[in-house]
Amino acid sequence: MTSENTWRYTTLGLLLTAFALFIVVQILRIQLSPQAEVFRNRGEIYSGSWRTLVPARGQIYDRWGHQLAGNTTVYEVGVELTYVQNPSTIALALNAVTGSEYDKVFALASQEPSDEAVYARLADFVTEEQKAKLEQLAAEMQTAYGRSKEKERPSLAGLRYIPHLQRSYPEKDLASNILGFVNREGKGFFGIEEQFNDELAGDPQTVWVPADPNRVEELPEVPDGASLILTIDRAVQAEIEGILDQAIDESGSEAGTIVVMDPSNGEILAMATTPRLDLNEFWRYGEIFVDSTPFNRAVSKIYEPGSVFKVLTMASALDNGSVKPDTPFLDTGAIEVGGTVIINWNSGAWGPQDMLGCLQHSLNVCLAWVATQLGTNDFYNYLQGFGIGHLTGVDLAGENPGRLKLPGDSDWYEADLGTNSFGQGVAVTPVQMVMAVSAIANEGKMVVPRIVLSMIDQGHQYNTSTQVAGMPITQESAQTLTNMLATSLEVESSVALIEGYRVAGKTGTAEIPTPFGYTSSQTHASFVGWGPVDDPQFLVYIWLEKPSVSPWGSVVAAPVFKQVVERLVVLLNIPPDDVRQRMMDSN
Amino acid sequence: MNRVQYLTQAYHQAPWRKQLQYIGLFLMGLILVALVAGIYLSVTARAATVGRDIQKMHDEIEITEREIEDLKTELALITSNRKMEERAGQLGFHPVSAEELAYVDLPGFTKPNQVTLALSPSPRVAGASVLSPEYTQSLFEWLRERVFEPAAPLMIEGLP
Repeated sequence: MTSENTWRYTTLGLLLTAFALFIVVQILRIQLSPQAEVFRNRGEIYSGSWRTLVPARGQIYDRWGHQLAGNTTVYEVGVELTYVQNPSTIALALNAVTGSEYDKVFALASQEPSDEAVYARLADFVTEEQKAKLEQLAAEMQTAYGRSKEKERPSLAGLRYIPHLQRSYPEKDLASNILGFVNREGKGFFGIEEQFNDELAGDPQTVWVPADPNRVEELPEVPDGASLILTIDRAVQAEIEGILDQAIDESGSEAGTIVVMDPSNGEILAMATTPRLDLNEFWRYGEIFVDSTPFNRAVSKIYEPGSVFKVLTMASALDNGSVKPDTPFLDTGAIEVGGTVIINWNSGAWGPQDMLGCLQHSLNVCLAWVATQLGTNDFYNYLQGFGIGHLTGVDLAGENPGRLKLPGDSDWYEADLGTNSFGQGVAVTPVQMVMAVSAIANEGKMVVPRIVLSMIDQGHQYNTSTQVAGMPITQESAQTLTNMLATSLEVESSVALIEGYRVAGKTGTAEIPTPFGYTSSQTHASFVGWGPVDDPQFLVYIWLEKPSVSPWGSVVAAPVFKQVVERLVVLLNIPPDDVRQRMMDSN
Repeated sequence: MNRVQYLTQAYHQAPWRKQLQYIGLFLMGLILVALVAGIYLSVTARAATVGRDIQKMHDEIEITEREIEDLKTELALITSNRKMEERAGQLGFHPVSAEELAYVDLPGFTKPNQVTLALSPSPRVAGASVLSPEYTQSLFEWLRERVFEPAAPLMIEGLP
């Protein structure tokens, strides 16, 4: 190395060192400057994202595992603003395929991209078919205009599809009043969906997901929402809904409700009511349920039940010992209770009767007398024991406790003792009546009606159990009354009788209270029955609102009971009494 | 004195030899640095690839879970009550009436009451890691565990 080159190398070395030092100083300056935080924050934005892991909403099944509510994939459609070429085409396509508003979509897709505006959501809950149509359109436009240099060429560039799940109801309107629905925000409304919303929805978790693959971490396992198995039998429910629709049509009723329950364990096998809603189109709720129509009449609508209530009065009196089946009563056609004169349904006097005759002919005068024999305190104690005026505890949202005026209440009068005895002046829901009558059908043990049979959570199936709400009457009283009611149907050759099966039951016709008193032109027709009498496996409650063909429960509701039971014995595999007896004897 | 000078000169290395030694040392250092950098790059690249695979698998799990939900719903639609009734009607079946039924007593037969749908009865802790410690423990954690907890098993059996 000559001395001539030495200074050149030294200078180059110094320059490079100075440059390196400059870089180091710059690095330090930037790191320590006030702007460093800004850069760090900007870097953080792109280093990952917060992601909410939403568990799939739990399924709902009928008792045999048929899915009643599940989930299906839908898409959020949005645009990455940087890639948008023609907002007008995007707005037109979305308007044509999804029905989105053209102006709204156009305005969103026309935004200038910036740090704050990167992505715009244009539509949500777009179905798989709609997404396929949009993709097809995009591909066709690309083929037709992809090579064009025109600035305004049609293009769907920039569209993005983000999949997520939404609730789906494969059975459409079947059991809709039991299930309820889930709105777009994932919240359950009415029925099971509302009552068990927290369990079904699960527990979403928000986690930081780094974009840098070196920092990737295991995502926490978010368990799906709990699934529910209902006590409902899909086949029975479908059959009962069909029968109810036909009954409403034939009787000219405004609405109707049928509840079928196993009185031994409270499992509700079917609960049909009107109107029904295709749950996949839940947004039509306001259109179908007008004027405060309850979503499920069986649990939410109260009414004065009329003569079906007489079974509770008679059960109380038999249990109390105030009367016996053969206790004589002379019906003079009228009785005064608390200053109010009570007359029979036909305004007639039925002469000498026993308690069986009183039930058979549904005599208001006789039952009012029975209530007076029972005494005010005992009568209301028994009714409270039957759960009247209280929530049953059925696992459905929106249950109404009804209304039972009690002595001491400001609106209770002595006359109420008489009217309450035959089901007027007292407001109940059908499910309340079902629970109360279950005490008679189930040897005195009153069971809480239930809809959920099992809950499946994280691989475990938890079965619910029968809940006995009390024993308002003794086994003997229950059996006595059951036999009285079965005999009364047989003696009067009721249209509710079913060949081969002994059933017990009672019709009911109630006048409807208005602000101007009771109207006799419109009634509530009901029937409550159970069977087979020696081993009750079903309890059926029928309520037809304001039938126009006939006001009488014995004419419009009793035949419906027969229809229901004829299908139930087939669907529930209940052999006729003689066959069942033979089988029991042989075993 | 001459003798000392002679010896010093005799054992003194030639300048070119010294240069070679320096160059050799520098190159050794360079190779070492390159080796470490290479290993670091290789490991980092593999970790990044695995990380990317994990990210992809997370996405695949999500897609699969959605597909499962879709298939369940599709199956439910195909086997819905209305569809089954329609299909039964087309095949010539009609709803059976009580008169058409014949009951046969089968000794030992008990009527099923409800369905059992829970697939796995094994208990699981919500949010717990499904990876065994072999995949999550660092070398130092493993060593510390060995030193302070020598009774710990060498390998934890995979949990079901």
